[in-house]
Formats: sequence, C-alpha cells, structure tokens
Amino acid sequence: MNDMTPLLEIKDVSKRFEYVEALKSVNLTIGRREVVALVGDNGAGKSTLVKIIAGLCQPTSGGLVVRGEPVRIGDVRDANALGIVSVFQGNELCENLNVAANLFLGRELRTGCGIRDENAMVVRARAVLDTLSSSIQVGRPVASLSVGQRRIIAIAKTLLSEPDLVVLDEPTDSLSVMQTAEVLEYTRRLRAEGRSVIMVCHDLPDVFAVADRIAVLRQGRIIAVHETCETSYEQILAEMAGIVDEDADGRGDESDGVPAGGAVGYRIRVGTSRRLIERRGEQSGLPV
Amino acid sequence: MARRTNGSQASLRRANQASLLESIHRFGAMTQVELAEITGLSTTTVSTQVHQLVQEGKLETRNTVRNGRRATLVALARKQGLGVGLSITRRDLIVVVADYAKDVIARRRLPLPAKHKADTTLERAVRLVNEMLENAGADAGEVVGVGVAVGAPVDYRAQTVAVPGILPGWNGVDIRGPLATAFHVPVVVDNDANAAAVCEGRVGAVAGRQNFVYIGTNDGVGAGIMVNGDILHGVTGLAGEIGHIQVDPLGSICSCGNRGCLNTIVDETRLVSLLSVTHGNMTLEDLVRLANDGDPGCRRVIADTAVRIGTVAGDLCISVDPEMVVVGGNLAMSGDTFIEPFSETLQRLLFPNALTPIRVCAAAHPDYGAAPGAAIMAIEVVEKRSLLQG
Repeated sequence: MNDMTPLLEIKDVSKRFEYVEALKSVNLTIGRREVVALVGDNGAGKSTLVKIIAGLCQPTSGGLVVRGEPVRIGDVRDANALGIVSVFQGNELCENLNVAANLFLGRELRTGCGIRDENAMVVRARAVLDTLSSSIQVGRPVASLSVGQRRIIAIAKTLLSEPDLVVLDEPTDSLSVMQTAEVLEYTRRLRAEGRSVIMVCHDLPDVFAVADRIAVLRQGRIIAVHETCETSYEQILAEMAGIVDEDADGRGDESDGVPAGGAVGYRIRVGTSRRLIERRGEQSGLPV
Repeated sequence: MARRTNGSQASLRRANQASLLESIHRFGAMTQVELAEITGLSTTTVSTQVHQLVQEGKLETRNTVRNGRRATLVALARKQGLGVGLSITRRDLIVVVADYAKDVIARRRLPLPAKHKADTTLERAVRLVNEMLENAGADAGEVVGVGVAVGAPVDYRAQTVAVPGILPGWNGVDIRGPLATAFHVPVVVDNDANAAAVCEGRVGAVAGRQNFVYIGTNDGVGAGIMVNGDILHGVTGLAGEIGHIQVDPLGSICSCGNRGCLNTIVDETRLVSLLSVTHGNMTLEDLVRLANDGDPGCRRVIADTAVRIGTVAGDLCISVDPEMVVVGGNLAMSGDTFIEPFSETLQRLLFPNALTPIRVCAAAHPDYGAAPGAAIMAIEVVEKRSLLQG
C-alpha cells in the first residue's frame, strides 16, 4: 500500500438535523502518524463530525475515504473493522462489571473450545493498563472508580484492537493533572506507534501540547487548518469566535458575517476574545 | 557471582520481593490484597514477603480501610523525607519523587505546549506533585526539598534562566518563589545537563565516579561537568554550555544571539529538516525511533550529528580532563548509531598517548535523568545545610 495515501479523507460531508445544518460540506484529510485536534465553539459541529467518523450517525451528503477507498461506516462495528475506534465523553462502561470484563465487553477472549478465558483476559487487561502506567486494579468493579479512572479504562479499550485511527472526544475533560498527563502521554505514544488520532478538545494548552494540526470548526464549517507550530492561542481563539483576519488566512470563510453567538462582540479585538468566549458559557482553553 | 540459582527457594523469594517492590514503585502505595492481584502472587506469599521487607526497612505498613474493611496499606519506606525533582524543557514537564535512598518512588511526564508560560506550568507542576504524593501514600509535609532542572542556561546565583530567548516564557521568571510558597522547603534551580550529570554520577551509569563529563543531546546540546564529585558551575552557572560554542563562523544566528553555535546545527528543527524531502514531517523522537529500526537516512543524520558534537566534546575533555564521558538525551537513545562515531571523533582529538584514555558510555537514564537528578540535588542541598547547622 502506498504509504503516502491519507488514512482518512472527509469529502464534502454535510449533515442536516431537520432545520439545523450541523455540518456544511466539510473537507478534512487525516494523514498517517498524526494528531489532529478539532476545536470550535459549542454547536460548531465537532461532535457531529466525530460521530460520523465513528459510525454513530450518517452524513446527509458527502462521504468518507479510508486508505484511498470510499467507504460507508454504518455503525461502530464497521468503523472498528476499518481500524477506527472512538472514546466518547459518556464512557460507555458497565457499572456492575469489573475492569477486565469491561475492557473485553463484546469481544471476550475464548479458549480453544469456546469458553470465556477469564485468565487470559485478566492478564491482557493488566498488560494494557500497565502500558498506560495506570494503577487501576483489573479486578475492581467499575462502579468504584473515579471519573478519571473510567476515562483511562475507556481509552485502554482502544488499545486492545490495535487501531489505525483513534477518535478521542474531550479526552482530558474533568481529569486531574496526573490523569491528564497520562492521557496526553498516551496520545503521543499512539502517534509514535504510527497511529493517527483525532481529538476534540476544549483545553487549548492540551491541544497545543500534542496536536500536529489544529482544525477550527465554526457554524458547521472548517474555517482553518493550522500546523500547531505555526499558530497561536490568540489566532485559534479568534477563529473560534469568528474574528478572522481575512488577509492572514486565505481559507477564512467569513461569508456569514456574524459570529456563532449572534452580534455580540463581532467588533471585539482579538485581545479580548477571551471574554467573548467565556460569555458564551463554554469553558475554553484560555491563552494562559 | 555467575552461579545459577534458577529454581532455588532463595531465588524465588528474591524474584517475588523484586516484583512486589517494582509494583509499589510503579503504582504507589496499595493494600496487600491489591498487591496480590497486581503481582499474581498468593495473598499468603505477599503477606510473608511484605513482613520480611518491612523488617529489612524497605517497606512500611499502615492500617487503612478499603471497601469498609480493615486493610494493610503497603508503601515504600521513606527514611527522613522525600525530594521532588522537576524537569522543564520546551515540550515536557517531568516530575519525580525520590526518597532519601535516591530511589524514585513516582514519576510522571506531562506533555507541554510549545512556548508554555512559567506561571501556568509551575502551577500545574505543584498540582501534579501533590497528586503524585497522594497516590504514593505520602504527605506534602514529608517533602524536604524541590529541585528544578530547566532546559536552558541557568544563572546559578539568581536561580533564573540566564540567557533570554532559549526557553520562551521563562525569561527572568522567579522559579523558586511559587514552589517555595507551595511546599515551604528549599528550592534549587539548575540546568538540565547538570541535573542529569548528578543523576548519572549518583545512581546512574557512572555511579560513584568523581570526575566525568555528561553530554546531553536533546533539542540542542549541554554538558554537566563533575569535578571531585561536585558540579562545576563557574561564576554565573554557565559552565558546560557547549551548545553555545561556535562551530561555524558564518552559520545561522542562534537563540542566544550569537552566530554559528553548535546548537544551530544539532537542534530538532534543523535535524528533521534534513530529512523532510524523503521522510516528511518528523519529530526528534521519530528520527531516533526510525534510526533504531534501521532507516539508513536517519542513521546517517544521527552519525553526522555525533561527529559534530564529538568535536566540541573533544575540546571540553582537553580542558577539564575527565575520567569518563557519559552521553544522554534523545540522540543517545539511538545507541551505537550515536556512540560509535561520537567516541571515534573524540578519541581522534584527544592526546594519543594519554595516561588514562577517556572512556565513553551511554547514560543509564537517557530520556528523563534530569528530573531524578534535580531531586537528588535538592536532597543533597538539604543534607549539606543540616550538616552545617550542626
């Protein structure tokens, strides 16, 4: 296979929920071995986009191309078969089962005669959690774990299937610094292993710490894609808020003219965009 | 020494004890039941071995409650206190907690954004240290000192970054203040190559040696010079900054403001740009990993860089006459790909008939040595002060 073929191409993807157009012909290419962050205001379409990639919903028009071949991702199993796994905010874990059982839920290891191989699962689960340098015990029920530990379990699940593309929806949201460190380290390690990552993230310092490229979504459109080393917090925040300097970025799409939150702050200078974002009631990664 | 002890009771016991100690090292304090689960040993074995290790002074136990039941919490024995070491570079924060025996009891790496700012990074570092202490079953009051290794030249008198521009966002920042306020203990700030040299000299590849030079090859080059068991700082603390020795009078301008420094030739951007046509976008880690996988282009880049660094290291060795040269940092993680051409260049430049030939070896902790080194520095400073005070 030609190594230069992009891993995933999102081509002209639109999504309409009745009267709301969540995504408007979005184009984005994810290469091999890269971490792409999706940032944007509330309702910008980030979650819809990753749900389409994960197979949780279908685009109204447009499609996805994986490794150069057009595909239809009907559900999560289709996505998994293509080497795409996702971790969502909800942490879909079963409270009554222990950590090992949760990790292997739906893909239990079996012995030669088809019986569940508990020992093999515990050993493998321990090995996977070990690579995340996590101190969670595999025999503990998920009900007794903290939010951060549950997030680690959800992320550890992705490691079991050796994926090519990992989709992380708000991976560091509501985590402690130590757990954030683990998740960001893990993201870097995925990339080092030759995998690609799409992360939706609000915390700009975390985005800048691990992402190779940052795609800014606003009102269902990708208005800019930046190499992380060539951009700044101020520029990203300005674009999220809809204060785009047309001269600085030719891809800037300002045809709507009004930022997502209405007319408030449209003329606000870049330096004050922090206040603008806060006013919209969403916690942003602020330029600190 | 090479006696085979496979299968004997004694070796089994040793292996079990090693496995217990390693688990507590890695995961922090935990109960005996949890230890049994993580190591795969029976609870009886765990109980016996823990008892023995407590008697040997390696572990300590406390009563605790898990799931409403009484349990025994097992932690590493901490004699007299803990040292905290931070290593701050352009892209990473590494935090290490070490005990008085200079054993690392907890370690975490937090990736940082490029151009991170001092205030936020230090605040996150304080929170990270507190969480790590809690996870290890320790108390913030047990910390006796904090060491900070900074990936930039440090003014040892003022304890700040000495040359502006090398670590953007840290120019003239009081690094000591926020940490001293948070932990109420002495704080030592030093250059990362010096800290890594301390780590290698106390617990690493050249443990116990008094005179050696450590060469750190990360994003840029730095050296730590150990003379009679102490780091040579010079008047300002800038001794050993070999990355800022001029190697090309007509070269590019360096982040320090001079022209043609060694760092303009060995920095990450420059090295990966040499491969951009054939290999696309890469980082220094990618470069080293591909070289280890046998990629000829990457190996060539590393070997050429080793020769450039070796030339400057040769000058340094003639000046300070060390016993050994220890090579650490990212590039050194490519093993012989780096060490061989480096060593060959170095030997070529040194006195052919020297009384004692200088040996070159790889660092024991090439990727994170600065953080434990900083922790050890902090502990040593505190020890020295208590000795002086009586």
